Amino acid sequence: MTDYQPFLITFRLALITTAILFIVAIPLAYWLAHSKSKFKSVIETLVSMPLVLPPSVLGFYFLIAFGPSHGLGQFIEHYFNTRLVFSFGGLVVASVIYSLPFMVHPIQAGLAGLSPNLKEASFSLGKSKMNTLFKVLLPCIKPSLLTGLVLTFAHTVGEFGVVLMIGGNIPGQTRVASIAIYDEVEAMNYHSANVYAGILFAVTFIILLTVYFVNHRYAITKNL
Amino acid sequence: MCNKMKKYFYFLSLIVMMFCSLTCGAQKLTVAVAANMQYVVEELLPIFKTETGIDVDLVVGSSGKLATQITEGAPFDVFISADMKYPNELFHKGLATEPAKEYAQGKLVLWTNTHGIQPTADLKILLQSSIVKIAVANPKTAPYGEAAEQAMKYYKVYTQVKDKLVYGESIGQTQQFIDTKAADIGFIAKSQVLTDEMMGKGFWIEIDKKAYAPLMQGATILKHGKTTNAYGAKHFFEFLYTTEAKTVFKKYGYIVSAK
Amino acid sequence: MISFGISKVLHTAQGKALLDVMCDIEPGELVGIYGASGAGKTTILRILAGLLLPDKGHISVGGNMWLDTTAGKNLAPQKRSVGFVFQDYALFPNMTVKGNLAYALQKGQPPAIIDELMELMELQQLSGRYPETLSGGQKQRVALARALVRQPKLLLLDEPLSALDNELRYRLQGHILQAHKRYGLTTILVSHDVPELFRMAGRILVLEQGKIVKQGTPLEVFFNEQAGGAFQLVGDVVDVNMETRVITVLVYNNVVKVQVTAAEAIQYKQGDRVLVSSDTFSPVIRKIVVS
Repeated sequence: MTDYQPFLITFRLALITTAILFIVAIPLAYWLAHSKSKFKSVIETLVSMPLVLPPSVLGFYFLIAFGPSHGLGQFIEHYFNTRLVFSFGGLVVASVIYSLPFMVHPIQAGLAGLSPNLKEASFSLGKSKMNTLFKVLLPCIKPSLLTGLVLTFAHTVGEFGVVLMIGGNIPGQTRVASIAIYDEVEAMNYHSANVYAGILFAVTFIILLTVYFVNHRYAITKNL
Repeated sequence: MCNKMKKYFYFLSLIVMMFCSLTCGAQKLTVAVAANMQYVVEELLPIFKTETGIDVDLVVGSSGKLATQITEGAPFDVFISADMKYPNELFHKGLATEPAKEYAQGKLVLWTNTHGIQPTADLKILLQSSIVKIAVANPKTAPYGEAAEQAMKYYKVYTQVKDKLVYGESIGQTQQFIDTKAADIGFIAKSQVLTDEMMGKGFWIEIDKKAYAPLMQGATILKHGKTTNAYGAKHFFEFLYTTEAKTVFKKYGYIVSAK
Repeated sequence: MISFGISKVLHTAQGKALLDVMCDIEPGELVGIYGASGAGKTTILRILAGLLLPDKGHISVGGNMWLDTTAGKNLAPQKRSVGFVFQDYALFPNMTVKGNLAYALQKGQPPAIIDELMELMELQQLSGRYPETLSGGQKQRVALARALVRQPKLLLLDEPLSALDNELRYRLQGHILQAHKRYGLTTILVSHDVPELFRMAGRILVLEQGKIVKQGTPLEVFFNEQAGGAFQLVGDVVDVNMETRVITVLVYNNVVKVQVTAAEAIQYKQGDRVLVSSDTFSPVIRKIVVS
């Protein structure tokens, strides 16, 4: 009796998180790559924190911040009539924070590695910063963008600690595949756990393989 | 000369450390405890230490999770479960020395930490729109979660409130959900609301015994305990059934047999 | 009329230097800037283009104020009518040759200029190629064409030909001159190649440690009047022969032997930079026939 819902939730979560982060991370990565501000180190550190903090710490702070007993959570509950803890929406918010460095770092590194002359040449041709970013800079760092997308997606699929803290394991809503597998192992249903884990492995493998394959073919045709 | 002295010193400290770990290890006991019994057992430890001089390390978790870990070889000496099923399973697998022996019977309570909510004995409160999330322990691995489910079905509110349910990894996490008000109300063990920290926090009512199968809680000595620490394990296990222990259990709301 | 006066602290390998220059350029002029590396040549171009802000300065082009630090006015590079050709070409790798030129097209500008420039720079065959497949010379032609699409008021060339061999250099210099004439450009060329400046620049600014130390026509700048004579050659000593008292000097690819006194011979050693000149000299000229 394999229940496919956890997989649907996991992939939905991963896709939405990746899409949101792609939009959010680009301006942030651009700023970090080009800024000479004093605050750059602070922002860089904040962005990297989710890499170092144990997921349970993130989950714990999230629970406090977005639970209805404190300011922010109360505000959200009052005005939007939603509670972020124990909801899919909450998982999205948490995943965006948790996977942020995985999208920002590759893009930042890609942009910083470009010759500054490219940007300047574009400016001298009368093109705005936005125009330059989308028509020149981003197209030149396609491999970095791909890396960011793939890492973010994969990282979100593998998310466990944060979901454990704030998900509430609700079937159909927050019971993601990683939690479902854990559940089955806990209940000593090793056969089920095996099936789930196998499916998750196979699907993620195929997704990543496809992405890398397409990327290589694209690089080859461009060089002709 | 200097080099030789260094080698000698290292060798000596190695011997000392090994000796220490051997002797210290032989003394210390590792006891796996179901989450709802955490505070209770913690209170027993100083008494046990005074009587026997043995130190005890506690590993806390949901009964199911602990049973799984023991099956996978976790080096625990004694298992205090929240039910009889898990220790018995271990016994059948040859990982415990005797079948589960009941030490107490647990009580289920409905508790809230959110202002303005009053739990009702018939569970009708759960149907209110003001209750958005109800916390229970995962029935798959926590006996109190199973009991909560049974109670809700008994009072015929289960199907209506099913979508409001939020599952805690253990009864401990369930309590945390309610404590932080992330869940508006939920089912936990009576022992949890009677601890010093929880006294006076929120409101709770006891669920009628007839609404759920009795939460008979059993303990057993594990194979690891018998082979590596037979003396300590045996004494601790027997300690659970003494009058002193029973007094503490009663204090935390458990039902104990007179014997 | 382009006039500017800028000053900025430079951080060079030898420590801090102050770049402090002032100049007026007539429309249609091709001005060369000559100087050693680190003297501040590229910095001047970048400040004119708006890519760098000087500590103090003003730039006015055709009556419009592009920069005035005292008034707090700083026109963004996008708004300045400049064409910039970088030393490393800075072509956009994600666009074809035609794409690079098309990118430069302004809103409402007729695209005919692209074909015109491609013809002028002999780029028609390379229209669909990507920059990474082009040779140095080809890239430079594209960079030049791209800088001209907007028909800028000021064309800035930052050592555009330094990476190329002599023959290619010569050809491309021709292209630049053609474009300069055809579009009536005002151009500033940064170069450390003297023949290049001779051929292309009407006026040269010699920059040393951030200051203009000499200004004038190429002849005025590179010919030392005090030393006089009918010819002056700058070269390096490759040999000092104490017995014959002949110092051998290498001037570019040419060898000159100079007879000196014993007292003079002692003063020179291999590697010295020297000026060889003479007034009593009747050179004979002969054509080199290439067979």
